[in-house]
Order: sequence, then structure tokens, then C-alpha cells
Amino acid sequence: MEHGNPIWTYDVFGLPVTFNLSTVMMIIISSLVVFLVAFFMTRNLSVRPTGKSQVLMEVLMNFVKGIISGNMAWKQGGRFHFLALTLILYIFVANMLGLPFAFIAPDEEHTLWWKSPTADPSVTLTLASLMIVLTHYYGIKMRGTKAYLKSYAQPVWFMAPFKFIEEFTYNLTLGLRLYGNIYAGEILLSLLIMVMASGALGFVGGFIPLMIWQGFSIYIGVIQAFIFVMLSMVYLSHKVSDDH
Amino acid sequence: MMNLLAVGIAAGLAALGASIGIGLIVSKTVEGVSRQPEARGPLMTIMFIGIGVVEAVPIIAIVISFMLMFMF
Repeated sequence: MEHGNPIWTYDVFGLPVTFNLSTVMMIIISSLVVFLVAFFMTRNLSVRPTGKSQVLMEVLMNFVKGIISGNMAWKQGGRFHFLALTLILYIFVANMLGLPFAFIAPDEEHTLWWKSPTADPSVTLTLASLMIVLTHYYGIKMRGTKAYLKSYAQPVWFMAPFKFIEEFTYNLTLGLRLYGNIYAGEILLSLLIMVMASGALGFVGGFIPLMIWQGFSIYIGVIQAFIFVMLSMVYLSHKVSDDH
Repeated sequence: MMNLLAVGIAAGLAALGASIGIGLIVSKTVEGVSRQPEARGPLMTIMFIGIGVVEAVPIIAIVISFMLMFMF
């Protein structure tokens, strides 16, 4: 059950910096997959779409456009269109990668090499903090430092500490929600595979639940990618829009 | 052995609370949609945001219970 991690440690000025090599590999693989999919789906564009790939990409872009325009005016939110598109594609591909199979090295530690990169808290928390830092950056850039600082004292001044703590809560829940869903899904998948490997009866009994759980994991992966992008855009619109 | 008990209690209570909360959200959404079917799209979006916010807490509890199970 317990899988080892291929950890590689490197000392920077006496401080150990740890890399999980399988996570690094899976990040590179999912980035490559997203790049190649987006690259080859947007070749030979035409005003009247002929192939399926252009139609699919247009549907996806309209979907992301709907997410953004549900939260803020398109004049302000249009610049986040490609950010949200990249984010939703990356998280979706990353969630899907761990589902069809896993590769566990045949050594004594059972090192897990193939998994979802989002089943690692460092990846999801990095993505979440990136989005939160971006909300602050665009809040200052689009509304000015004065309005940004004043937004902490809205609606009354003693709300400021709560608003300050809220930023860290957003960061933590945004990252841990994605991580927890994907990690718990993978743990349950490996438990079901262990049941199937235990014997003939276990194989018969575990086959249907495994397929059901894989189907449900696809649903969870889609919903989590949607919710991550949705909440990022909600947090962005809190900082960016100046209607209150 | 005691940590397994702790894992069971933590995961079970988290699932209990989260299922009640998500049930309330979805039932209210169904109520709203049946009252005003043309508001289905926005209501579904708000419902998914609400589910996402509620779901974060039990998922954190599940992660904590996995940590309890494998680390100690």
C-alpha cells in the first residue's frame, strides 16, 4: 500500500531542497500533453470550421469565456481568458493522467513513478498561491494601490484582520481541495487494485467497483478543474472589479 | 490500533457533515430551479461553487486521516 517517493535532495547554502522526481516528470509530461493538444488542435483554422478539433476548441474557449463573464465585466476579465483556458486544460489533463494506470517500480520501496501531478500537495498549493498572488498583482495594477488598500477596510475598518486572514484561507482551501480529491481518488484506486490482486474472488468482486470508481474519478477531475478555475476567477473579480 | 480508530472517527464525521451540507445546497437549488426554470444555468454555477467550498473541509479531514493512517 505504502508507495515510496523518488526523492532527490540538493543543498542550497546548507538548506536541503527536496525534489520529488516523479512529480517533476509528471509535470513535464502533462505540460507537454497540454501544449501538443492545444498546438495541433489549432492548426488549419478556418472561418467555417471543417474538422472536429477546431469546434471542440471553440466550445472550450466559449465555456471559459462564460466562466469569466459570469464573474466580471468582459472589459476587465478579457485579459484572463487565456490564463483560465491554460489553467483548466492543465488541471484537467493532470487529473486524467493518473487514472488509466500507475507505474510502480519493482524495488523494495515500491517507488511510485506514474501518478497525477495534482496528487502532490506541493503542485496544487503552488498553483493556488500563484493565483492568489496574481489576484493581488492585478488588484493593484488595475485599481491602484490606494483603492487596493482601501478594499481591506470595506465595509467597516475592523474587518481588516479577517480580510487579511481570508487570503491565506483562500490559498489553503484552493490548493488542498484539488489535492485531496485527486489523492483520495488515487488511494482508493490502488486499494481496489490490491483487492483485485488478492485472488480470484477478489478479482471478480473488485472489477465492477474499480470501473465505477474510475468513471466517477473522471467526473471528479472535470468538476475539480472547473471549480479551481471558477474560484480563481471569483477571487480575481473580488480584487479587480470596482463596483463596490 | 488507536490511530485507525481516530481515522474512522475523523473520516466518518467529516463525511456526515459534508453530506448534510451538500444535500442542503442541492435541495435548495432544485427548489429554485423548479420555481424558476429559466434561471437554471446561473443557479447550477452557484451550486457548484457552493459544493466546492463545502467540500474542501471534509477533503482536508480525509487527507488528515490518510496522514494518520500511514505516518504514525
